[in-house]
Amino acid sequence: MDDSPLPWDAAAPLVRAAQRGDALAMDDLLELVTPYVRRLCAPIAPRDTADAVQEALIAVFRGLKGVRDPVAFYGWVRAVSVREAVRVARRSAGEVAVGDEEVVRLRELLGEVRGGELGLEVRDLLGRMSVQHRAVLVLREIEGLDERATAEVLGVPEGTVKSRLHRARSAFRKAWVR
Amino acid sequence: MSGVDSVDRLRIVAAGLRAPLYAEAHIELPYAQVWAVVADLEGELPHLLSFVREFRVASGDSARKAAVAVDAVGLRGDFDVRLSPGWCLMQSRLVTMGMAAVEEGDGTRFAVCGALRPAALGPVQRAYRRVLGARRARAFLSEVERRAALR
Repeated sequence: MDDSPLPWDAAAPLVRAAQRGDALAMDDLLELVTPYVRRLCAPIAPRDTADAVQEALIAVFRGLKGVRDPVAFYGWVRAVSVREAVRVARRSAGEVAVGDEEVVRLRELLGEVRGGELGLEVRDLLGRMSVQHRAVLVLREIEGLDERATAEVLGVPEGTVKSRLHRARSAFRKAWVR
Repeated sequence: MSGVDSVDRLRIVAAGLRAPLYAEAHIELPYAQVWAVVADLEGELPHLLSFVREFRVASGDSARKAAVAVDAVGLRGDFDVRLSPGWCLMQSRLVTMGMAAVEEGDGTRFAVCGALRPAALGPVQRAYRRVLGARRARAFLSEVERRAALR
């Protein structure tokens, strides 16, 4: 998977045009941003990924006019997507599984672990974690944000991110060795 | 597009445009039969939109085309058209129109969206949405179904 941010140089003029009501630019922007939104939503709302992606994209495009700095679009899309994914995941009764790409990245958390069965088990493992823990793991381990940026996205103090992350990581490892 | 189908995509674009006209419905006809109506823009648009007298689309297989609409009183409008299976987005300086379709069981889920372009028309669009938008959109969907049934 390509870890680099989206080609945001391409996004900025599309954001400006879309803000002026250019539907074709909006469509291009939608195509550009959808894989990224999906990548954020899938591990947080694994059972309802399609709903989470749809609701995140609607929130992104509905709020597009209010984006003052098109260059900051990336961070804003991330914040909206995580917020919507958490909301959708909380709405559903049970929680399960994540996709292959996220599993590959999260397996690094497990250090020495190897083996072909990893994918399925890591997915099960994540499925048993709380939405809050999954959200913090996605932002820190998959998105690579620092604690301050993670705190901003989640709308909680940095200290909360630290403790939540610590609990998420240890819950993840403990569940693995069990 | 990454798990987002054509109708989802139009719903998102309509949200972005704050489109006063948006509706979707299940049509009890096969997707191919329904989409054939939209794919034939030149032949069908004048039937679907009473104020369009003529719609000429540049030839070729490209998904992005130029088109010219002539309205009932003879005024011309240049359009950019994006047309691919299940997806049609058309835009002039003044208006935007989108149509989307996906298979749904044995039938088709079809959506339509319309908006005026200048941002200054926002209040007009909001009033229109309240008064006429949903009704006009449903009438359009019925007309698509009627034209598809004739095929």
